[in-house]
Amino acid sequence: MNLRSVTAVAAWELRLAVRGRLVMGTALTFTVVCVLATLLGLRSLSALGLAGVGSGTGALINLAILFPPLMGMMLGANSLSSARERSLLPLMLVQPISRLDHVTGVVLGLVGAVWLTIGFGFGASALLLAGVAGTADVAGLLAIVASALGVGVVAVALGVAISALAGSRLQALGLSMGLWFLFAFAIDLVLAGVAGAVHLGPFGLFVGVLLNPLEAGRVLMVLASGGDALTLGPFGAYLNVTIGTAHAALAVCASLATWTVLSLLMAWAGITRREP
Amino acid sequence: MIRIETQTRPEGDQLLEIHGVKKSFGGTVVLDDVSLQLKRGDIALVVGANGSGKSTLLRCVAGLTRFDGTARILGADPRSAARQGLIGYLPQLVALPEAVTVGEVIAFFARLRGVSLRRPTDCAAAVPLPDGFLPGLDRPIGALSGGMRRRVALAAALIGSPPLVLLDEPAASLDEEHSASLWETMQALRAAGGTALIAMPLMVTSLLRHDLAAVADRAVLLEQGRVVHDGSVESLRPAPPLGAHRLMSVGSR
Repeated sequence: MNLRSVTAVAAWELRLAVRGRLVMGTALTFTVVCVLATLLGLRSLSALGLAGVGSGTGALINLAILFPPLMGMMLGANSLSSARERSLLPLMLVQPISRLDHVTGVVLGLVGAVWLTIGFGFGASALLLAGVAGTADVAGLLAIVASALGVGVVAVALGVAISALAGSRLQALGLSMGLWFLFAFAIDLVLAGVAGAVHLGPFGLFVGVLLNPLEAGRVLMVLASGGDALTLGPFGAYLNVTIGTAHAALAVCASLATWTVLSLLMAWAGITRREP
Repeated sequence: MIRIETQTRPEGDQLLEIHGVKKSFGGTVVLDDVSLQLKRGDIALVVGANGSGKSTLLRCVAGLTRFDGTARILGADPRSAARQGLIGYLPQLVALPEAVTVGEVIAFFARLRGVSLRRPTDCAAAVPLPDGFLPGLDRPIGALSGGMRRRVALAAALIGSPPLVLLDEPAASLDEEHSASLWETMQALRAAGGTALIAMPLMVTSLLRHDLAAVADRAVLLEQGRVVHDGSVESLRPAPPLGAHRLMSVGSR
């Protein structure tokens, strides 16, 4: 891997992203919603702290799970497909840079844009919490932010993979929105509906969590915010008894890493096999 | 006066060798047994009507599309050649991002090509084009006309002076003055030992064939994906009566 090429592409993609309306609009909206959620949850946050996982923490976690991944997937889905439709991709692929370096640079640049958005939103929340937060809460907030950054990476990588494989930019955007909806809501609803009927059990649910990067991120945020697995109810109690909170967090991190690597490989395969 | 220093390599004079290239899209044959050789310093025009396979041929040589047959650039297959920085390519239509400036585009492609730019003013120096060819470096792409954008894309293709330049209708949307600058650049490229394969539409080549003869050594005429003529540019002429812009080789009638 050529670091100079990767950083050049990453810087280029980041520059394009932050000058685009999608990133600026999402960053602004995310910041406003984070501020509102923090203000509304300030009472529970000051009483319970972040580790207490009250309404304030819950709202922040859900925001981090919904907004940045949606933005990351949309940005990723737009990347290669848009460059292909604008004939910019052929111009890029004739440069002395491998396709893997190109895909990696694109992902890194867009991850930078998503991380900036997360930084704005949680930065504003942190400023509001500064007055009421304890030391443990600062660590908890940082842990939530770190988890959100990780989920952001997965979302961008997934989006870029879709972008590399989809037939058109419109198709890529549609697929990424559909996948986001599936991960954010549909799988939860299906699992809730069928868990009893098919006797999934706690292990089956845990596998379900690992197969859904957004749910994995949500579980990681709860665990990382200072709560133990028991915060997650009977399912968490199962994790606590069988593998423990630390191992559960590790398994979830491994799931996110696997999603990222697989998505990168899919994107690389797509850009290598498809004609730009 | 344009001075171009192309990348030099120790290998022989043969820079591009294409043998028996075939390409189909579905059941439609786009390139049919195309063979072509270019020596270092050759400038060749690929001429043909719409859909004759000009752009596809350039894409094959650039390593952007799979094909049957062989293509070698200094002995390397097209994809390897691109990774080694041996190819500069200007697509027929390219929409540069509107949110960046001309200088940022040039700096980006220069960085990919390993051309060091210490100051913003180095951008202009990195591009082997006449002074004034590039629009102002601080102008956003979104504020440029189609012709100006084309000039920026052309500059991006020429950065680093790659040994083989593939230009797909480079003069499209350029005004007279900048077309002249482009051809002047091609002459300088040839003088410096650079090699170019330039796709040109029939009508333009017909109208400009006397001027183009001063720029290009050869014209390769494609019809329905087959090479039907390979000779000097002057050996192409408009065929009367109604097909005033239809080019034929002198000896074909």
